[in-house]
Amino acid sequence: MATTKVIDWDKVGGGIKRKSIFLEITFILPVAVLFLLVIMAIFAPLLAPYPYDQISMQDRLLPPFFMDGGTTAHLLGTDNIGRDILSRVIYGAQISLSISLIVIAITASIGTVLGILAGYLGGRTDAFLMRVTDISLSFPAILIAILMAVTIGPGYWTVVLAISMLGWAPYARLIRGEALKLRESDFVAQARIIGASPVRIMFRHIFPNVLNPLIVMVTLSVGFVILTEAALSYLGAGIPPPAASWGNMVNDGRTFIDTAWWMSLFPGIVIGLVVLAGNFLGDWLRDKMDPRLRQL
Amino acid sequence: MSKVILRVEDLRSFFFTRKGVVKAVDGVSFYVCEGETFGLVGESACGKTVTALSILRLLPEPAGQIVGGKIFLDGTNLLELSKEEMRKYRGRMISMILQDPMTSLNPVYTVGDQIAESVRLHQGLQGEKVDEEVISALRLLKIPSPEMIMRNYPFQLSGGMRQRVVGAIAMSCHPRLLIADEPTTALDATIQAQYLTLFKDVQKQTNVAIIFITHDFGVVGNMCQRVGVMYAGKIVETATTREIFKTPKHPYTSALMDSVPRLDQKGDRLYSIKGQPPSLRDLPPGCRFFPRCPVAEDICRQKEPAEVEISEGHFVSCWKVK
Amino acid sequence: MADVLLEGRDLTKHYPVRKGILQRTIGWVRAVDGISFTIERGKTLSLVGESGAGKTTTAKAVLLQEKLTSGTILFEGKDLSHFSPAQLKAEYRPRLGSVQQNPWSSMNPRMKVRNIIAEPLVVNKKQTKQQLQSRISELLEQVGLSAEHAENYPHEFSGGQRQRIAVARAMALNPSLVVLDEPVSALDVSIRAQIMNLLKDLQEQYNLSYLVIAHNLATVRYMSHTVAIMYLGQIVEYGEAEELFERPLHPYTKALISASLLTLPEDEDKGVEKIILRGEMPSPLNPPAGCRFHTRCGEAMPECGQSVPPLRDVGGGHKVACNKA
Repeated sequence: MATTKVIDWDKVGGGIKRKSIFLEITFILPVAVLFLLVIMAIFAPLLAPYPYDQISMQDRLLPPFFMDGGTTAHLLGTDNIGRDILSRVIYGAQISLSISLIVIAITASIGTVLGILAGYLGGRTDAFLMRVTDISLSFPAILIAILMAVTIGPGYWTVVLAISMLGWAPYARLIRGEALKLRESDFVAQARIIGASPVRIMFRHIFPNVLNPLIVMVTLSVGFVILTEAALSYLGAGIPPPAASWGNMVNDGRTFIDTAWWMSLFPGIVIGLVVLAGNFLGDWLRDKMDPRLRQL
Repeated sequence: MSKVILRVEDLRSFFFTRKGVVKAVDGVSFYVCEGETFGLVGESACGKTVTALSILRLLPEPAGQIVGGKIFLDGTNLLELSKEEMRKYRGRMISMILQDPMTSLNPVYTVGDQIAESVRLHQGLQGEKVDEEVISALRLLKIPSPEMIMRNYPFQLSGGMRQRVVGAIAMSCHPRLLIADEPTTALDATIQAQYLTLFKDVQKQTNVAIIFITHDFGVVGNMCQRVGVMYAGKIVETATTREIFKTPKHPYTSALMDSVPRLDQKGDRLYSIKGQPPSLRDLPPGCRFFPRCPVAEDICRQKEPAEVEISEGHFVSCWKVK
Repeated sequence: MADVLLEGRDLTKHYPVRKGILQRTIGWVRAVDGISFTIERGKTLSLVGESGAGKTTTAKAVLLQEKLTSGTILFEGKDLSHFSPAQLKAEYRPRLGSVQQNPWSSMNPRMKVRNIIAEPLVVNKKQTKQQLQSRISELLEQVGLSAEHAENYPHEFSGGQRQRIAVARAMALNPSLVVLDEPVSALDVSIRAQIMNLLKDLQEQYNLSYLVIAHNLATVRYMSHTVAIMYLGQIVEYGEAEELFERPLHPYTKALISASLLTLPEDEDKGVEKIILRGEMPSPLNPPAGCRFHTRCGEAMPECGQSVPPLRDVGGGHKVACNKA
């Protein structure tokens, strides 16, 4: 080896550049996927070749166009009562994505409020709220949802309610931990010395500083909601027919899996895509917001 | 004069970050003799710690890289060693003490285990011999009842005692060079005084060479025979401690000394150095100190001054010093 | 008679140490154990000591962040314990300011400098947007920054600049007393002088009183008028800064001064020896009987282990708690 360690400047620069492009791709790709799916949901009536509930018995169980017996009239084939799979996947985006959005809004709000209260106020408030959280986390989630479906009947809002009841606890846990750390921070002590009220401290000092982990958690839970909705549909407690959600489509195809696998596969692929996009985006945000990584 | 054990020549260590190249150490040269303590003094981010990590070849790669210079330890250029060989040098030839004793000890192992680990690794000892070495290392650092302390966990010890254990680990393999990076900054004043006295004793017994990194001139006066004053990645002045205190030549050195309050003098107003150290990503042209220098002239902002030996062993990098 | 702004009388803070499921109290940590002091208007009192000496607890009590176990704090002659919470908020809190040690953590990273400085005003006073705006600019200029800095976030500033922002925040309500908790020890050496000079200027200009907490004696000598040396929750020596540093009487004070004196190489030639204390500060959970310092004292006599030396005035307000003095 030479006395001076020779640095190939281009290589050093290049290495760093490559890494940043990689970071960009893990951001752009999931955002693009999610954006396209949202567009698809909004313009479903314009994009879908057929209404989601148009039954056509003579066209039942048609395979996708690239297979023997398939037709370009039904690109992704049809289901057991002759509904167009492509149209139902497009319409399904409306329900699956809107459920995700509503559920995340509810769970994130409840979890953040309870988490900040528990973490900042501490003591008995904390003990009480955290026991409730523990109970919520330890209950078999699916069981509650089925019970609800039985008692108030399956439907869109039942699904929203059921998943929301399960989903807030992890938020509360996460936010409480952050609030606990922040409570001991110098700037919160300073606010107390100044005479700021607890409400002001929680709102102005704690809340803005838990946003980073909160946003990461939000992106990661897109997948959770869609998968839970699919699981509920699978158990018959999901979105009732004829409405199309990706979850209930997978479920409808279950009995035909050996003959008409396309019924489950295509909605399954979209579910996978959204979950992956959410997770990638979450990872990207987490890396971005990590102050140690941000400096580089 | 005793034998030179470490010689650093024109060391350059840069950090390659997305926002640009940070020239943390940019042409640093100095030497340390056996049984001598050399102080590296400067403010935070002046490159003291990066210099130390470069000697150990422990810069956080790939961002941190040694891009130039030579480091001779007892005649061997450390930068030419393979990673494997360098690992053997660490601990056996060079050790380091870090600032925070709490984080440099592993909380789940006893004090004895942690010293024994380094003894086994570097001296290849086994069985009872290891315990003997552990106890003698603890004795060297004047830790009371070492047979008992070695069974304790770090959390059972006070801050001062923990830092002695860190010292014992560092000394356990009889290194030729010890780098101490602000080892007393986290300690209380009376404990700091104990520790410094202790280390002078350790040095007398072992003849180890010490590089003492600090921002505190009080510690320098107490511990070091010679000092290098660092500013923005360079050593701006090197001299014996006596000369640095008596006749500081570089404007930064003297300004720094004037801005520190003295316990034995009643001053009404402190001299304050205007501005702040430059960003190492974006250094000023010419002398790095000129934007803050009270005596800067035109040449100072155009050309970087070279290091000049103004009297034997007293080096200064300043246009105004002839 | 000196113009006393705040007086602490016999302040005590004991923390219970609890153990087990039932949280039984098994002992008390005597963090602060009967200390008294006065802070004069326009003057600085420094509490000096090593970690665990009780100085931070004392400052927190003054800032109402800790409830005292016993003792009274008099503010302009009025006993704070007679104040209602509303009175405290209206009449005491706005008269206080506080600067913390670490300028990197003492500000909400998500707030603009404007809002950081304005917070004490917003919380304590009703005023218009314009009033607020002009006060913020005024404060920033007072601490050597400029009005444009109001729109930046804390991370855009260096340590020294951040500490200036912290000082501006402490000054926002025109306080009478500012508590400075190690105001310069987190800063770089070349920046410390800037901040200390700023604090001295503000004190002169506004007749401010400071309660300084510090461990660096040279800083303390430069900043203070009166100094209290604390050891294990008690004041062992108290007096005018000049007097105390020129003629220290307590062996602990002497050791601290010796440890902090700049040793020059020629001192060693002359054979000036530093006083090195043995051992470490005992736990405040179980302080030694008699004089608390006797376990480390080089001048201890047999009786020091039994009789507690009172804090006695040895003339001119210089007080010392030592059996030998």
